[in-house]
Amino acid sequence: MSGAYLELRNLRKEFGDFVAINNISLRIQKGEFITFLGPSGSGKSTTLYAIAGFIEPNAGDVLLNGRSLVRVSPNHRDIGMVFQRYTLFPHLTVAENIAFPLRVRRRPKAEIEAKVKEMLDLVHLTPMRDRKPAQLSGGQQQRVALARALAYDPQILLMDEPLSALDKKLREDIQAEIERIHLETGVTIIYVTHDQEEALRLSDRIVLFNHGGIEQVGTGEDLYDHPVSTFTAGFIGNSNLIDVHLQSGFPHLPDGTKLYNYQPNREGAKRLMLRPEDLFLAKEGIPVQITGRTYLGDVIAYMVRTGWGQELSVRTQRQDSNLQAYVGDTVCVGFNHEKAYIIPE
Amino acid sequence: MLLDFSQLGWWRIALCAVAGVAVVFLLAPLCLLIALSFDSSQWLQFPPPGWTLQWYREVLADPNWLNSFLTSVELGIVVTLASVFLGLLAGFALARGNFPGREMLRGFFLTPMIMPSIVLGIALYATFLRLHLAGTFLGFVLAHLVLALPFSIVAITSALEQTDKSLEDAAMLCGASLWEARVRVILPAIRHGIFSAAIFSFLTSWDEVVVAIFMASPGLQTLPVRMLGEVRQNLSPDIAVVSSLLVLGTILLMGLTALFNKDSKR
Ligand SMILES: Nc1ncnc2c1ncn2[C@@H]1O[C@H](COP(=O)(O)OP(=O)(O)OP(=O)(O)O)[C@@H](O)[C@H]1O
Ligand SMILES: [Mg+2]
Repeated sequence: MSGAYLELRNLRKEFGDFVAINNISLRIQKGEFITFLGPSGSGKSTTLYAIAGFIEPNAGDVLLNGRSLVRVSPNHRDIGMVFQRYTLFPHLTVAENIAFPLRVRRRPKAEIEAKVKEMLDLVHLTPMRDRKPAQLSGGQQQRVALARALAYDPQILLMDEPLSALDKKLREDIQAEIERIHLETGVTIIYVTHDQEEALRLSDRIVLFNHGGIEQVGTGEDLYDHPVSTFTAGFIGNSNLIDVHLQSGFPHLPDGTKLYNYQPNREGAKRLMLRPEDLFLAKEGIPVQITGRTYLGDVIAYMVRTGWGQELSVRTQRQDSNLQAYVGDTVCVGFNHEKAYIIPE
Repeated sequence: MLLDFSQLGWWRIALCAVAGVAVVFLLAPLCLLIALSFDSSQWLQFPPPGWTLQWYREVLADPNWLNSFLTSVELGIVVTLASVFLGLLAGFALARGNFPGREMLRGFFLTPMIMPSIVLGIALYATFLRLHLAGTFLGFVLAHLVLALPFSIVAITSALEQTDKSLEDAAMLCGASLWEARVRVILPAIRHGIFSAAIFSFLTSWDEVVVAIFMASPGLQTLPVRMLGEVRQNLSPDIAVVSSLLVLGTILLMGLTALFNKDSKR
């Protein structure tokens, strides 16, 4: 098979009798920005460490350019990594930290000097070159770590929640910087996070992990608009999930209402996903009672209860809502039947 | 906090008084000894009838004192080097290793700390007699190593445990082999622990006397063994001089430690 730059093939890792990664397969293209997204303990870091070489898989293979990496020790894999915790070498200055991988490789002095300069420029830290890590802020430390990880032009850059210790504003600044660096260097990046916003913002494709397996792989839009499972629908963004019954290809709501959205070749009980922003208050549709109303400036968020007792969340743009409704009112909730998405699982 | 010093009220005065008495109690004998080393009377009269540097001149010119001083220093340095080296190996095994019986091994390494040194001395003497090591420098080194190693292992293991393993991982991904990563990154990161290990090891050997009595031979005596022998014969001003010099050495060593700690805390 051609095309895949980095490939995980049926990768499996057990700790005792606990399965941390369960037969994962994944193909990544050169230059892609991939994020591993998923709840805590779902196996993201373990997979990353298996790629880096710190964890030996029980079964399966990691292939780079078609060559197996499993027998290659971490120092020969030519992979860069930024860790969640600060891992700058405390006794070395910023410049010496960045030079470290090049010194280990015994590169000529002039080349090292030039590369350090280039990297400091890349992460905008030239004025800090002679500081020790303890004299830097958390964000600056992670940027130096990034520079160090890129100094030897690795084939792949791994990042394990590098920004999780930083506050929101700083995180966004460095996210922008990482995006820019990805564009400038073209390095293949695998980025672990459990922040869906970060994943949606940064990545070309998202790999959603769940219980040691891959739930779904796709662009942010794929995952948001076409989740393959209830888990994806619930993990990416907010969603209303309504149990529907498919009869002769048409979904029926619990109260019997027929939706005009033909689903060929499907029968039986299914799940309908409706994003809160796809719903609106209307004169006709599903009759509901309003149980909560929150004014959020440009958006008004409603909680409504349906006739069959389910709470739905509705978000309407303020200028769109020609219908004013308050807690206790009985109204209807409408949506575009063609856009109604049935989760295939 | 419940025991906040500033909230103790009049208890503070009592506390300061007790602390003061304790300090005087601990320091007074040392001060007396130092005073006696300058005492012009050779029978250690107190208060001294006059002051002199004569005893210092005598001690510094005496080849016996010098010999045992050099023996102690040599022994201390060799024990320190060996103790730090073995402590590093054991520390990496205990802090980074993952093998059955690791906790038991950790406990076992500490046993010399709680074993009565007289028992250790006898046991080592009996063993070394058979191995023809009794009375040799090597035997001395081995015996003191047994005593020094637990301190070194504790200091280095705890320093390693406080150092994030990802530091090692990061160095390896940068291209360093495991041991290169440890030497170039982890050793500087735990230099604190290594320094403590060295100081403790040296001091353990330096003022050890019980085991040393068993290891010593007429031609191979450490300073404490020689002092003990001297004291048993007569209480001379020489002893006061040697003791004072030892106190001076200890103060210098402590100053060095404080300097080092201050430097690496930055
Ligand atoms: N060395 C280990 N020994 C035993 N279990 C482990 C080990 N490392 C990881 N695990 C387990 O494997 C599972 C997956 O861990 P992993 O670190 O990959 O999760 P994660 O997706 O990165 O989570 P988080 O978002 O919290 O970092 C967890 O349940 C964890 O407890
Ligand atoms: Mg993790």
